Amino acid sequence: MSDSKERLAESLSALMDGETTEIELHRILKEVGIDQGQITDSKSVRHTWHRYHMVSASMAGEPVSRLDMSASISAAVDAEGAHRIHPLQKFMNSTGRFAIAASVAMVAVLGVQQLNSPDPSSVDAIQFAEMDINGAEQNSGPAIQFPSGFQPSIQARTVSAGGNNKTSQHLVPVVQVRKAANQQFSENELRAYMDDIMLKHSNNAALNSNQGMLPFARVTKSGANSNKE
Amino acid sequence: MLLNKRFINLKLAALLAAVFMHGSLSAQQMESAYDLIARMAKASKELSYKGLFTYEYRGQLRSVKVVHLVREGQTYERIVHMDGPEREIVRRGDHLSCMRPADMLLRGSPLRINDSYAHLEDYYDFYIRGNARIAGRKVALVEVLPKDKLRYGYIVAIDKETGLMLQSILLSQSGKPLERFQYVDISFVADIDSFELSSGMADSEDIDVNQSACLENNQTTQPERSEWEPQWLPPGFVLSSYQPAGADGQESWMYTDGLAVFSIFIDSNEQSRQFPPLDAKLGTTVAVLTKANYNDQHYAICVVGEIPRSTANQIASAIRPLATLNKPSEEAQGS
Repeated sequence: MSDSKERLAESLSALMDGETTEIELHRILKEVGIDQGQITDSKSVRHTWHRYHMVSASMAGEPVSRLDMSASISAAVDAEGAHRIHPLQKFMNSTGRFAIAASVAMVAVLGVQQLNSPDPSSVDAIQFAEMDINGAEQNSGPAIQFPSGFQPSIQARTVSAGGNNKTSQHLVPVVQVRKAANQQFSENELRAYMDDIMLKHSNNAALNSNQGMLPFARVTKSGANSNKE
Repeated sequence: MLLNKRFINLKLAALLAAVFMHGSLSAQQMESAYDLIARMAKASKELSYKGLFTYEYRGQLRSVKVVHLVREGQTYERIVHMDGPEREIVRRGDHLSCMRPADMLLRGSPLRINDSYAHLEDYYDFYIRGNARIAGRKVALVEVLPKDKLRYGYIVAIDKETGLMLQSILLSQSGKPLERFQYVDISFVADIDSFELSSGMADSEDIDVNQSACLENNQTTQPERSEWEPQWLPPGFVLSSYQPAGADGQESWMYTDGLAVFSIFIDSNEQSRQFPPLDAKLGTTVAVLTKANYNDQHYAICVVGEIPRSTANQIASAIRPLATLNKPSEEAQGS
């Protein structure tokens, strides 16, 4: 018994500081409802509450009053009809609360799903198909498109940059010339050079990284084939 | 009252035990993410296996058949592209004893570069992301995230039984998947018939691996005297191979941080000198070509790798001929 009283006193003190949990508050209100004791009853919750406030007021140097106005205030509140809640309004309130609760639940469900979705095993193919590597990392510096001499590779360019390729099933290097060059080189030579360099890189990478077979998959001989044609 | 006290003591003990156990559990988990990666580095070399894997890039799928065999300490590989242009590679690989910088970095042996030690965990964070099933096998998922913006991240799936990497997803800096490598079928067999290694194609590429780049001890490979030197490298990258200029006038360097790799090519031959500066991209591989003049000669400098383009640009713009670098200091000494 003394234990619960002690705990209640603690809750009361917390309530004064505005630090109660909802459960504590409910317990206090319930206790107040049960004992119905007057402020004069030294064991009642009301009495304790009043005493605490007196102590706190005197410590703060404020005027201390022994007057209990709680009864007259609640009588006055009861007399005010305007604040009575209409039954319909009560119903509306509760549905509103339900709606909020439902939406919170929805958010919780969605939130949990979103948190779970980065599970790497569920990275789906759609994501791969839709993503735009150019959007993910911007090319630095203005890259000038192919000069008019690069006609054949423009098709190749759309193949790998567009993503929805119908003409070719295979990746072709996307080449962007940075400066408008005065055409001293042949496009085929450049393409062959890029292919050669990427092939050398992938062969080296297979050896010097622990990606196993992966580098071999990155490069096909597509360039070599197109040169033969 | 005494009973009550004893009960409290018991509760306290349980609480302490729980705290300690939790602590040791999380420590164990952190350790094992890195251990898995180290184990993976070992497994990719030492196991004999054959299988079929897919490579996916922007909705395009490529399938590749692979045989990897270890016989008498020597690795052999046969790689056959199953769709698109025919491509077959037969490779006599490294001796098992051959350690390359990437092996060292992944296995956690520190590598010496310029009197400091390179550690993989200085540049990446490792997280265990649960379990999954790939190619019919149980795997552990490990997320490897870079600590800077100079390299990409990975999600790798490591076979629980053997330690072989069965899936690897390359992640952009914003965390989007860029490419996916994944086995669909794999079998581990002690003895693979030599027949499976012999090529079925007339024009297969036979690659005999140069063993000279194997590391003797914990030292990085020192390039033979080159006239060029990169003045800036992303931190953590070490030189893993160097090819001096041959008849074709092409020198090349390869650098790795254990996971990512990039190559630098410097060409002085007639043909490549004509090429304009350009950016190229093949899948996740970027290439940045810049031009340089040195001793009245034009050079083409090309940085190629699975690294962000900004990193490649930064490397390419910092490659200088050694002579021009030494000149100012010589002048300073003279005056």
